[in-house]
Amino acid sequence: MAKHDYQLTRREWMRLTSAGVVGFSMSGWIEALARETVNNPQRRKSCILLWMNGGPSQIDTFDLKPNHENGGEFKEIQTNVPGIKISEHLPKISKFMDKMAIVRSMSTKEGDHGRGTFLMRTGELPQGPIHYPTIGASLSKELGDDQSELPNFVSIAPYRFFNPAAWGPGFLGPKYAPLIVGDATRAFRTNDADAYQELLKVQNLQPYGDVSKEQVDARISLLQSLEHDFVRKHPGISPKSHQTAYDRAVRLMRSEAAKAFDLSEEKDETRDAYGRNLFGQGCLLARRLIERKVPFVEVTLSRVPGLNVFGWDTHNNNFPTVRRLCEILDPAWAALMSDLKDRGLLDSTLIVWMGEFGRTPKIPRGRQNGGRDHYPNAWSTVLAGGGIKGGQVVGRTSADGTTVEERPVNSHDFLATICKALGVDPHKYNPSNVGRPIPIVDKKARPIEEIL
Amino acid sequence: MIMRCGILACPALLLVVPLLRAEVGPEVTEALKLSSTIDRLIEVRIKDAGIRPAPLASDAEFMRRVYLDLAGRIPRVSEVRAFLDDKRPDKRARLVEQILRSAAYVNHMTNTWNRLLLPESNNRRFLDQTFRAWLAQRFRDNVAYDTMVRELITAPVGYSQGRSLSRSTGAGQAIAFYQANEFKPENLAASVSRIFLGVKLECAQCHNHPFAEYKRTQFWQLAAFFAGIRSTSRNGFVTTASESPRVNKIKIPDTETEVVARFLDGTEPDMTSDLPLRQILADWVTSPTNPYFAKATVNRFWAHFFGIGFVDPVDEPSEGNPPSHPELLEEMGRQFAAHQFDLKYLIRAIVNSKTYQRTSEVDGEEPEPRLFACMAIKGLTAEQFWDSLVQATGYRQTNPQAGRQTVFTQTTARQQFLAMFASQERPTEYQSSILQALMLMNGDFIGSATDGANLEKTERLAAIWDAPFLDTTAKKVEVLFLATLSRMPSAEELDRMVRYVDSGGPKKNPRAAIADVFWALLNSSEFMFNH
Repeated sequence: MAKHDYQLTRREWMRLTSAGVVGFSMSGWIEALARETVNNPQRRKSCILLWMNGGPSQIDTFDLKPNHENGGEFKEIQTNVPGIKISEHLPKISKFMDKMAIVRSMSTKEGDHGRGTFLMRTGELPQGPIHYPTIGASLSKELGDDQSELPNFVSIAPYRFFNPAAWGPGFLGPKYAPLIVGDATRAFRTNDADAYQELLKVQNLQPYGDVSKEQVDARISLLQSLEHDFVRKHPGISPKSHQTAYDRAVRLMRSEAAKAFDLSEEKDETRDAYGRNLFGQGCLLARRLIERKVPFVEVTLSRVPGLNVFGWDTHNNNFPTVRRLCEILDPAWAALMSDLKDRGLLDSTLIVWMGEFGRTPKIPRGRQNGGRDHYPNAWSTVLAGGGIKGGQVVGRTSADGTTVEERPVNSHDFLATICKALGVDPHKYNPSNVGRPIPIVDKKARPIEEIL
Repeated sequence: MIMRCGILACPALLLVVPLLRAEVGPEVTEALKLSSTIDRLIEVRIKDAGIRPAPLASDAEFMRRVYLDLAGRIPRVSEVRAFLDDKRPDKRARLVEQILRSAAYVNHMTNTWNRLLLPESNNRRFLDQTFRAWLAQRFRDNVAYDTMVRELITAPVGYSQGRSLSRSTGAGQAIAFYQANEFKPENLAASVSRIFLGVKLECAQCHNHPFAEYKRTQFWQLAAFFAGIRSTSRNGFVTTASESPRVNKIKIPDTETEVVARFLDGTEPDMTSDLPLRQILADWVTSPTNPYFAKATVNRFWAHFFGIGFVDPVDEPSEGNPPSHPELLEEMGRQFAAHQFDLKYLIRAIVNSKTYQRTSEVDGEEPEPRLFACMAIKGLTAEQFWDSLVQATGYRQTNPQAGRQTVFTQTTARQQFLAMFASQERPTEYQSSILQALMLMNGDFIGSATDGANLEKTERLAAIWDAPFLDTTAKKVEVLFLATLSRMPSAEELDRMVRYVDSGGPKKNPRAAIADVFWALLNSSEFMFNH
C-alpha cells in the first residue's frame, strides 16, 4: 500500500525533473540565456576526480615500504609535511601535502577490473537489475544548477571498456549523464602523441558541415512548430524531457561558456606546466570548467602513448610504467592544485585520486621488469583541497604492505567521505529503477570524520 | 448502462467491428476471442473511473506503432502508402500477420530477449553473437515459450559426466545464459525467478525483505537447484563449468545453514526420480499449472506493447504492488497456457485488440496510465531508434561487419548510436540527454543525411529531389513525412513546409531548405517516440 503511494510520488517526481526548471516555450530557445547569470552568490563546492584506470600501485606511489623486500626499487622523499613521505616520482605534488590526506587503509573485496571499477565509482557491486549511478551523476545532481549553460558533469578522457555502466547515470536517468570529452575508449589504440588536441573538443557542438547559424535558427524554428503540435496532444513526461534536452543543448551551442573547452585561450607556459598530453590537458580543461562552476569533473589517466598497457594495470614492467605514469600525473596534478590555489578555488574544490583497487605488495617471480597484480585488500587513495584537513595520513598497512592494520576504509566509507566533504548528505534517497528509493551511499557507511 | 451505450455509439468503435470477421486464418480468429476479453475487462475499469476511452488510432498511427513494436523499426514509405491505400476491412489484422512472418520480427524479438536474458556483465559483449543466433532460431520457428525456457534452464553447461559440450548444436549456444550469470547458483536463481516467474528475489539473497513475502531461505532453496554447477576456469572473460547434476544442497554464505532445493511455492521436488536437478526445476517452472509462469510472461508482453505492465515494475508482484487488472491477467495467463504457450497467439490477441489500437492523443490531462484508456508514449530502444533512422534516411551500411574486430572500441556509426541511446528501464518515462540532442542535431550521421550543400551525396534527399514523379514541392514534403513520421502531413503542416522550401530558407536555395525540413522531422519528438 505504502508502495503504491510511493509510485505516485515517483511519477510526480519524474514529471518535475523531466521538465527541468526551464521547460519549453514557444518564444524561443534564447530566452533562457537571459537568465544565465543565475543569482547564487554562495559558491557551492565542486569536485575533480582523478581516475587512475587499471588500479595504481600504492606501494610505488603513496604507501612505500623502503625497508621491505616488497618495497621495490623506488625511494621515498619528504613532503612539505614533516613525517609524511611519498614516492620520489611525485616530487611536485609532495609540495602540496599540507592540502592532502592520504588514505592508506583502503580495503575492498573486488579484484576484477570491471566489477572493481563499478564498485569504486558507484559504491556497490553490480547486482542484478539495480542500475546504480556513478558518483559523479549523484553529486552533480545535488550540486548542479538546472539552468547552467554548461553540463553539470563532465568526464574527460574516460576509458570505459572495463565497465561502461560505471560511467553511467543509472537510475537517475540520462539527464545526469556526463558530457564526455576525449573519449579514450574510442581512441585507445592510437599511438599518436598529439591525438589529445583533437580529442579534447566537445563532440557535435558545432553545426554539421557548412550549416550556417541562420540555418540552425531556421531548422530549430521548424522543429518547434512540429513540437508544438505534438506536445499539445501528448502532454507526457517523455516529450517534455526531449524538449528540455534540446533546450539545454541549443543553449550550450550558443553559449559563450562553451569557450571553456577552447584550451588555446591559455598561455603556452600554462599548457606546458600541465603537460602536453591527454591527461595533462584534461586537468587544465577541468580547471577551466571548475572556474565556470561545473560541479563535477573527472579526468582519467588511462594510457601513455608508446606503452602497451591499460593505464596502471602493471602485471609486467611495473617500475618503468609507474614511473612514466607518475611523470604525467605529477606535473598535471600539481599545476591543477597550484592554479586552483591562485584563483582562490582550492578551498571549494575537492580533488580525489583513486583507481579501482591497488596492486600486490609482493612482486611475483618471472615477470618482465617486475610486475604487480590486482590487490583490493590494502591500498591507497588521496583526498585533497576543499573540505579536507590536509597533512594527514589515514590508516596504516603492515610492514610488508599486505594487510590493513588500522581504520579499514571500504567503498561506502570512502564515497560517503567525499559526499560530506562536499556538503552533500550521503544518505539522501533517490527514486530508483526497482521501485524503492536508494541512498547515494549505503547507510552502513562510516565517513572518515578525522579528515573532514 | 448509459455510458456503455455512449461507447457503442462512438463511430471509431464501429470501425473495429469488421476486424472480428477478419478474412484471415483460423489462428487469428482464435486469438480474436482473447482480444475481445481484453477489451471487455479493460473497458469496465475505464468506465468505473468515469472517463471515456480514447478513440481508435488512425491507420497511420496504428501502422507505425505495430511496426515499432513487432518489427523494431518504422515502416518504409512504400509500405505506408500501400497500407493507407488498402481498402480491405481486415487490413490491420493482415498487416500483423505479414509482420509476424518477416525477418524483422525475428530480429526485434531477438534484440528484446537478448537484452532481457543476458544481464549487463563484463562478458556480455562476448556472448552476444552465439546467443543471438540461438534466440533467432527460436523466434524464426516460433518455438513454444515453455520449450524455449526449458531449453535455457537445462542448457548443457560444459563437461558434465565426461561428455564434452558440443559447440555446434543449437542447444549448446544457450550456455551464454549461464556464462552471463557467471555460473553462480545465486545469480541463476535470481535470473530464473525474475525473468521467467516475474518474481524479483535478489534482495532476499542477503536478508529477509521487510515488505516482500520472500525469505532468504526461499532464495537459497531455489539457488540449490544450481548447486551442482562449478565454474571451472577463467578463460579470459568467458568461463566454462563442470556439473554434478544431482547435487541439491547449498550453504547460505556466512552462515552454517545448509538448505535443500525447494520450489518457490514451497513444494518439494520429487527426488526419487533420477532426473538432473535442473530438469526437475525446468519442468516445474514451465508447467501449465505453475502459478507464476504464464502470468509473468503475459505481464511482460503486455508491458512490451503498452510500456507498463498490469504488475509494474513487471518483476515485483507483492501485496503492496497488486496487478491493475487481476482478472484479465489471470484469464490471459490461462489462455496462453491453454494455447501451448504460443507467443504469436499472445501477440495477436494483444495487437488486434481495440485497447492496443487506441490513439495516444489526448485532450487535456493524461489519464491514469494503468487504466489503458489511451496508448502511452514509449521511448525507443537503442536498436529500434538506430534501425528506424537507417530506414528514414536510406542509409546503407557499407560494411556491417566493419566494427566486429573492435569489441574494445566503438567506431561504427551503429555502435556509437547504441552506446549513446542505451535502452532505459521505463519506456513510458523516457529521458533524453544533452549529448543525445547534440549528436542528433549536429552529428555526422544526421548531418550528412541532411546536407543541403551536398544533396547528391545524401540517400533520401537526392532520391526525392530527382524523382520525376515528385514534381511539386508538396509531393516532396509528403515523402519526407512518410519516411520519418509514417503519416501524411496535415494541411497546415504541408502549407507551412512548402512555403518554407519554396522561399529557400536562409540560404535562398530550395535544395538546402528541403534538407532543413528533413532535419527538423528527424529531430522531432514524434520521430523519436513510439506513440
